[in-house]
Amino acid sequence: MEHTREIITLQFGTYANYVGAHFWNQQEANFVYDRDDNDGGQVAEEELPHNDVLYREGRNEYNQTTYTPRLLTVDVGGTLGHLPMVGELYGNYLPLLHEQTTDDVLQRTKESAEQSKLNTDGELDVLQQPTAAISEYQQDLLKNQVNLVDKDYKLAESCNSWADYLYARYHPRSFNVLPGLMRQADVQALGTHAAGVELWQSVDFNEEFCDRIRLYAEECDGLQGFQLLFDIDDGFSGMASKCLEHLNDEYSRTNLALPLHYPRNVGYAQADPRTAHNIRVVNSVLSYGHLSDQASMFTPLSTLSTIWRNTTLQSRHLPGLKWQVDNLYQSSAVLAAFVDTATLGYRLRQTPETLSRFCQRICPAGRTMTAAAMSLPLGMQHEQQDLIDYLDANANGELLSQLSPGCEPGSSHLLQMIVARGIPLTRLKRPVAEAGEQLRMAAYRCDSVSQMLQLYYQCAYHGSLTHATATTLPLKTQLPFPYEIFDANISSNGFRLLGERESGTRVTSAPALAALQNSSKLGEHLDALHAQTHRVQLAKLQSYSQAALERDEYETAVDKLLEFRDNYEDSHYL
Amino acid sequence: MASISLLNPKAEFARAAQALAINISAAKGLQDVMRTNLGPKGTVKMLVSGAGDIKITKDGNVLLHDMQIQHPTASMIARASTAQDDSTGDGTTTTVLLIGELLKQADIYLSEGLHPRIMTEGFEKARDKALEVLEKVKLPVEINKKNLMEIANTSLRTKVHPQLADLLTEVCVDAVLCIANEKQQPVDLHMVELMEMQHKTDTDTQLVRGLVMDHGARHPDMPKRLENAYILTANVSLEYEKAEVNSGFFYKTATEREAFVRAERDFIDQRVKKVIELKRAVCDGTDKSFVLINQKGIDPISLDALAKEGILALRRAKRRNMERLALACGGTAMNSFDDLQEEHLGYAGTVYEHVLGENKFTFVEDCKNPLSVTILIKGPNKHTITQIKDAIRDGLRAINNTIADKALVPGAGAFEVRAYNELAQFKDTIKGKARLAVQAFADALLIIPKTLAINSGYDAQDTIVKLTVEDRLSPELIGIDLATGEPMKPTDLGVYDNYIVKKQILNSCSIIASNLLLVDEVMRAGMTSLKG
Repeated sequence: MEHTREIITLQFGTYANYVGAHFWNQQEANFVYDRDDNDGGQVAEEELPHNDVLYREGRNEYNQTTYTPRLLTVDVGGTLGHLPMVGELYGNYLPLLHEQTTDDVLQRTKESAEQSKLNTDGELDVLQQPTAAISEYQQDLLKNQVNLVDKDYKLAESCNSWADYLYARYHPRSFNVLPGLMRQADVQALGTHAAGVELWQSVDFNEEFCDRIRLYAEECDGLQGFQLLFDIDDGFSGMASKCLEHLNDEYSRTNLALPLHYPRNVGYAQADPRTAHNIRVVNSVLSYGHLSDQASMFTPLSTLSTIWRNTTLQSRHLPGLKWQVDNLYQSSAVLAAFVDTATLGYRLRQTPETLSRFCQRICPAGRTMTAAAMSLPLGMQHEQQDLIDYLDANANGELLSQLSPGCEPGSSHLLQMIVARGIPLTRLKRPVAEAGEQLRMAAYRCDSVSQMLQLYYQCAYHGSLTHATATTLPLKTQLPFPYEIFDANISSNGFRLLGERESGTRVTSAPALAALQNSSKLGEHLDALHAQTHRVQLAKLQSYSQAALERDEYETAVDKLLEFRDNYEDSHYL
Repeated sequence: MASISLLNPKAEFARAAQALAINISAAKGLQDVMRTNLGPKGTVKMLVSGAGDIKITKDGNVLLHDMQIQHPTASMIARASTAQDDSTGDGTTTTVLLIGELLKQADIYLSEGLHPRIMTEGFEKARDKALEVLEKVKLPVEINKKNLMEIANTSLRTKVHPQLADLLTEVCVDAVLCIANEKQQPVDLHMVELMEMQHKTDTDTQLVRGLVMDHGARHPDMPKRLENAYILTANVSLEYEKAEVNSGFFYKTATEREAFVRAERDFIDQRVKKVIELKRAVCDGTDKSFVLINQKGIDPISLDALAKEGILALRRAKRRNMERLALACGGTAMNSFDDLQEEHLGYAGTVYEHVLGENKFTFVEDCKNPLSVTILIKGPNKHTITQIKDAIRDGLRAINNTIADKALVPGAGAFEVRAYNELAQFKDTIKGKARLAVQAFADALLIIPKTLAINSGYDAQDTIVKLTVEDRLSPELIGIDLATGEPMKPTDLGVYDNYIVKKQILNSCSIIASNLLLVDEVMRAGMTSLKG
């Protein structure tokens, strides 16, 4: 079909919005405004993502064309920071940038309101809350003076919320702030799955939110489905679970769910660390119960290596990257890099792949949970190594690091969807005349990155099935991406150097490899969760008894978890 | 030292007089913020958030929602008054004022040594008496346009400018009268759709006797305006996509796959054909036209086929609009096209599209006997629209309350003055110190006429003296005329309040105030701090 195959994205929760903000920044970094421009000209047209899949064109009140993500975010109060609820593209708010103009505009708005027939006696009390702090990066962005080369905005330390580094601009419809819930420093304002469910069912929120989904869906000619990012550690998991149910009832399309775990142990109101842990387990159990039923595919994501009983906060490690383990800004960038790369599989121009086929291929026989793995930056050396050499040097198949907590899919009998990005065709192999050693390798006949990867995995992984996709478009790692997480021996285009890169230069782009994997070993992840349920005494969880969670509901979810685990029982399918 | 501090040295606490002082000062603080809002002459507040969001309002409920209240006592009072709004749609500001004043009056006696328990007992007696008075002064009314106009106008004038209030009154009353019928009471306000358009000015807000939908045709060739239209409402998917998700194709060759796809496509085409057949049967050869409004999706191929027949097709209609359409235009919402008859169709005189920036609106108007209507809210900017929307909601609630109560209470502070006088007499029949509490209750009630007077720029004591004296002389209730500051009969000027609102206020205020008075210890200690 020729028409666009739209996808609607939903983000529930603060951390989901952190990841989302990085994701949308990445999308906008990849926009090509001018094909003759040096930057855009390098990547062939068909290797760019098809932006209309995720974006919509609109028109604002000043008759300007807007291009905004087809996105709905939900968050607690206080996370929007300087962002007005109505978005910045459609007016209806007071711009904050320059001190004097704000007062001017305020005065003018006040006068116009007084002149209109709304007011009684020409008098208007103005109650102005203190102006929200606006990060240095955003200030420069508003002035159009962002210095990408040498100014250090120290976003990792100074960033309070995802709004502080959001380069992308959202449609007013995208913002949903939960009434009466304020973000708190140490506890989750919306703590439990049950509380999230309750909020979803409240008439005002439900009507408004469902209507917004409907308005996006109404615009779509060929809606493929939905991508959901949500925090699974807090009450947003409940909201997302209910939302999935609604989407299936109303639209029956493909749902790709990405539950996100905070990179630290989150706290809850009235809970010591032990109770907090139990609440987290219950939240996960209840969510998995819904996800196994409702989602076409779901992939838990976290930069931590395990989630339940991870008292030391052991983090995953990607060679070449170093991030502060519990920093939301940096860790979310890593996850967003994965989400962006992996989803390129169905977002490239002219790809025959659709979201539904994408999900079906790696989720056989009801195994809808998959694991994430990524290699960023790809360990290829800067000048000396071609892809063929690099793969040859790593013949055991250990290119990727896992990004799903507690999931080790192993290296045999697995299904995977792999996307390679940022490897130019010239770096695939050398021409015959200079090939030398390379001629001996079986992979020398391969003419494309995807072909070579396919062959590589055929050899490296026993009895496995790999779908490989490749694009030469690298991951853009300029601000607001945390470029500082790269090691010193990574060159500015993301390849490994023998020495260190010139001081003062930054990594501006990087090649990456991302995979969604499925194997019977993922059952262990579910076992680990089920093992945790033995320690949970539901009656002792005060916040749950307050939210009126039925004991039965919890027990059904535990049973469902076991049932779901059976799908991963043996590997006869492969 | 409080016993809690033995268990938990970190716990914060306040005892007896101190606890009471905390509660009373919180109540007073909240009262100070809200008092300028009361009545038609109250001031309007413009709220500017830290990020530059603008909100203009006079509605106590909206204000309470937007001020992030930290103080526990204040938030308790705020919650009581928002509960008031949830159940009756009015009286939020009054609740806050009255609770604050009850505590203030009580404080005078308590500081002289009266026990809080006696105070609350007195409050209870006074409240019962006040309810008795309320029962006596309520005026049974006939449900007609004049009476409804008066009550809606009183409510709306406290929210927006009089000129706009008059316009909205007409709109609200007409809307409710349109959908009201004898059998079903109270009226289902969901059948009044509120649609916002950022366009023109606030005084262009109007009642549409039909339905306005926030989406339009998605095909360039579809008609933009139709007259004499048959309306088919449906909940049937006209999209090919759906099949792909629910069942996978299993095929061996490319041609086999093609065949599958064609068969699936054919399934949808059949449905489209049924609609087209019906359209031909009822419209061909007449001047009638045909509109399809679908709750599910319609894909471009189906849209194309429909457009060729001159059918206007809308997809993804609101779920609630299905019900509304059936009431507005007649006909039934169809869940399948298998047995499509002319009797399933609704009718509308005109259907047209209005494009505004990126938003499209479809008007379905001139229906025969609409039992569902739309209030189209217009305004130059978002905050104006929000303000009008809040006002309309309250106006509709006030009308609905009247229909349910079949009674009204004279407004403009008249009830409070009468209750004050009655309570002053009632006080003498009470033995012991409880009579002081009755006096306090009576005095507290006067805060309403006082604030009304102050907000209009008159002297509070002057007004109260005039009103109480006048009230004693007159069998009819006497309120304050905000235009002159003189006593007047609210029934003459058509100023009325809802009976249910007043009743609710008396009940909830005395309960909350009593609870707060009885608090003799405030402590803060969470589970986490218990762990030390």
